[in-house]
Amino acid sequence: MIERADELMIAYQNGDNDALGGIYTLLKPALYSFIYRYTRDQQLSIDIVQDTFVKLQHYKHHYHPGKGKIKSYLFQIAYRLLIDKLNRRKKWRSFMPFLAPITKDELNHTDRLTIREAIVSLPGKQRAVILLFYYHDMKHEEIAEILSIPKGTVKSRLHTAIQSLKVELEGDFNESRSL
Amino acid sequence: MNHDPFKKELHLRKKLDEYHVEIPDFQMKPKGKRWERLINFLASPAKDPIEPLISTAAGVAVLKLAPLMGMAAISIIQLFFFL
Repeated sequence: MIERADELMIAYQNGDNDALGGIYTLLKPALYSFIYRYTRDQQLSIDIVQDTFVKLQHYKHHYHPGKGKIKSYLFQIAYRLLIDKLNRRKKWRSFMPFLAPITKDELNHTDRLTIREAIVSLPGKQRAVILLFYYHDMKHEEIAEILSIPKGTVKSRLHTAIQSLKVELEGDFNESRSL
Repeated sequence: MNHDPFKKELHLRKKLDEYHVEIPDFQMKPKGKRWERLINFLASPAKDPIEPLISTAAGVAVLKLAPLMGMAAISIIQLFFFL
């Protein structure tokens, strides 16, 4: 079944520049929430979403509707941009640690949201899989394509992430059982 | 076929469902505004590099003595070279 965003992308490839705005309206929330849940950095998430759409404009003819949904294509671009940016930041921080911007998490010590902390504490590879699977209803094949990993690896990472989250939230689990 | 690994994880699902993200209002980026990002990066708050030093009395003493020690070291090096 062809989704609305895919139709708009085809229209955009055929020269309808207004269709890009429609794709942006439809997919911006999903892209932003994925990046934000991954990084918990609002400015970085905005930058990545904007860069993803700049890239889409530059490479609009690289997308082939037969190969997958535009949503997966945009998530793939966003994930690659994100990993590049995080790696660059890590290098930058190792050279000049005192120049690293303070993230909002460091400023907000009263934050009590344990599920957020549990997700952020997962290794990046597991975090991406669980976020795409649970919050974005993606199939194993789509996740495999976005993260450029085999389908079997998606399954094993998903299983490990679920187990890790259960361990991280163990206190909550015991509390809910005792109630 | 995709087996749903969350099927039996009711509590985990409940917890994950609690995690909502507020989407800020921002537009698609016009091309060629990289310098704005650089300015944002330079203007963002950063950690104070000498904070660990000024938080203890010994640290403050080190901070005060460091220039004197440095001067002394440079003088000694000069003595070795020029005398």
